[in-house]
Amino acid sequence: MIRVVALRKAIVAGLAGAAAMEAFSIASAAAGFPTVDLVKELSTSEFHRLPLLAEGAALIAHLCIGVSWAVFYAFFFWGRFRLPPAIQGLIFAILPATLAILVVYPELALMRTHSDLVTLSLSSFFASLSVPTVVSLLIAHALFGLTVGAIYRRPVGYAVDHRPPRPAHRQQMSAPNRRENSTAFMFATGIECSYPTIDHGRWRRDEMDSTRHYEVWQRDFQLAREIGITHIRYGPPLHLVYEGPGRFDWDYIDPQMAELRDFGPEPIIDLCHFGLPSWLGDFQNRDIGQALEEYAGAFADRYPWVRFYTPVNEMYVCARMSALDGLWNEQLHDEGAYARAAWNLANASVRMSDAILKRRDDAVFINSESSEFYQPCCPDPDIQKVAEAANERRFLPLDLIFAHPLDKPMHDLLCGQGIAEDDIGKIGRRKVPRRSILGVDYYEWNERLIDRKGQAQALGELFGWYVIADQYWQRYRRPMMHTETNKMDADGAPRWLWRQWHNVQLLAKAGVPLVGFTWYSLTDQIDWSIAINEAIGLVYPVGLFDLNREARTVGLAYKHLIDLYRDQPGYADCKALKEIME
Amino acid sequence: MMYGFVAAHGYDPGPSQRPLAAGAISGILATIPALGVLIGFGSLEVEARILAMSPLETAAIGSLVMASAGAVYARFFGRTANAVHGGWLFGLSFGFALWGAGAVLILPLLSGGRAPAGNAAAGLALSLIVWGLATGVLVPFVHRPLHEGLEKASKHKSVGPDAAAARKGPVHQQREASRS
Repeated sequence: MIRVVALRKAIVAGLAGAAAMEAFSIASAAAGFPTVDLVKELSTSEFHRLPLLAEGAALIAHLCIGVSWAVFYAFFFWGRFRLPPAIQGLIFAILPATLAILVVYPELALMRTHSDLVTLSLSSFFASLSVPTVVSLLIAHALFGLTVGAIYRRPVGYAVDHRPPRPAHRQQMSAPNRRENSTAFMFATGIECSYPTIDHGRWRRDEMDSTRHYEVWQRDFQLAREIGITHIRYGPPLHLVYEGPGRFDWDYIDPQMAELRDFGPEPIIDLCHFGLPSWLGDFQNRDIGQALEEYAGAFADRYPWVRFYTPVNEMYVCARMSALDGLWNEQLHDEGAYARAAWNLANASVRMSDAILKRRDDAVFINSESSEFYQPCCPDPDIQKVAEAANERRFLPLDLIFAHPLDKPMHDLLCGQGIAEDDIGKIGRRKVPRRSILGVDYYEWNERLIDRKGQAQALGELFGWYVIADQYWQRYRRPMMHTETNKMDADGAPRWLWRQWHNVQLLAKAGVPLVGFTWYSLTDQIDWSIAINEAIGLVYPVGLFDLNREARTVGLAYKHLIDLYRDQPGYADCKALKEIME
Repeated sequence: MMYGFVAAHGYDPGPSQRPLAAGAISGILATIPALGVLIGFGSLEVEARILAMSPLETAAIGSLVMASAGAVYARFFGRTANAVHGGWLFGLSFGFALWGAGAVLILPLLSGGRAPAGNAAAGLALSLIVWGLATGVLVPFVHRPLHEGLEKASKHKSVGPDAAAARKGPVHQQREASRS
């Protein structure tokens, strides 16, 4: 799979494009211009044996060819250029136009001859082509391209007020029962489930929809079990389930939750993953804490067997992408807006944890955050300052939920946004739940260089997860888990997997209580190469399985790794996890 | 360009898949409807005359050529050829390309300019498109049972702990290799 294709959209675009071509041919013939009518050409060459049906059959063939080209466009071409969609279609039309002029049209002429065998020269092959013919074919194909390009856009996601079909029904199956309260080291993966809005709140990205998880969720869980996954990070679609205060549509997750309850893997439920229901607005809304507290409570009531939770996933990333980088949700570019979003998210996380603890006092919280580090490129004080500010900013949400004293600039920033000193003090004095795990995500772009222009550039794996995660350990002193990693280069992914694993082992040897490791995600993702801020449908090949649900090399490598370690002392019974679970 | 694009998107089948075998089998199977079209349009006989062979020999050699073409198709498209939703289109495109490059350009070049025309030319075009379509549709289904199971495939050395190394082989061998 190369791209996610909206087949219906592509078919409509192809039909419309072919119809536009034919309309042009008829209109220009009626106006007396020399023109090529491909339907007529087909009817007199391919279908002349059926005189009565010839034109109809030729028209159908023409429409089918239009659809094939449009689907081809959708797979291979759409979104390659940052140009208006219609212009992309116009550029694409060069390909079918060239083939029509150099191959198809001369061949159609050849097919109309009464002999079965001819001797061709270059000039006789192209004899049917004249300047008006070529011009007519070019214009007709340009119209085709413009029409297809204008119609085929945004193949993934949906308008915010749309609700995708509910998940497939659960099929009867048998599998070993879920291992409850296991204290074995967690070999985890996740189902990519991001659901932010883009286009200023008008378009919803929904990775579970784009990767067809709603359709094949049962197969996904089975694949996870087949490679030995013990825990799965799973984010029910908050924007679909939570319809309004006191209103929940559990049909979107009941079947999946029943399957996970019975057969596993043990779910780590991710209650808020980069998006909100549209009725809640965005992360600038100060009421989201109260609303998400209600949601978390209702969730824990409905699925009381769930023990592992990530109340809010990657709060720092969510706040930065939404309020500082302007990519998702509120799409702002403002330090103050970042602080408000970070505060609202942390506040929501705390209230959600408390709501869950009221229902299940032994709940385990895995607070996943992207581990980041900013390195100044030179001794320039301004550059140093930018790096320092970025390094302080990364800790803000975690400082709030883990009741760590805030850096002064962050404290002042919050106060400057109207957050009361009392509220900050209250959250800072909070007793952090005993069963709180710090989840540290790491990708090759998490280490960044602040260049001479003060801009962040990806450094690649300079210090590595060991060093960066250790910074988080030194600050929070909480049991840790490697909660996300992957590699875009599908061929290099096994190498990345094993290297990350050795980082985990080294940190554990250094005395840090580590409870798990995660390759994220189970399947390839969509558009993460562009931070899902546009609806292109590009497959991001980082999964343990591709979107055909066939194992990638890294899936095989992860199975190898799990098989090698799961029964080893220290992994079969993980001391750090045992202490948490008790 | 397309190869680079497909490759960048993780097309490599990996050690558990058998694209060549799946493509060759699908290519042979797809020859059956394609032969039907060739015979129906009288194209097989014309091709046989051009190649100076009997129709049976032409069909037999054609089947072998199309088996190789199927293998090339499945290897070239890699994982993308396994997509049930897209396979038909990839196959159809490949069939069209074979017609454009092979039947329209190469065949006349090899036979001193002699080429099918009339119904025979129409049949040849249609047969290659039908072959491509059938191959594209078949590959995902033929390929699945040929996959190596997860249990066995995960034991390949290439996905084991050695994969962590930046370069293959022990350090002393690498040193010697760099000296020489």
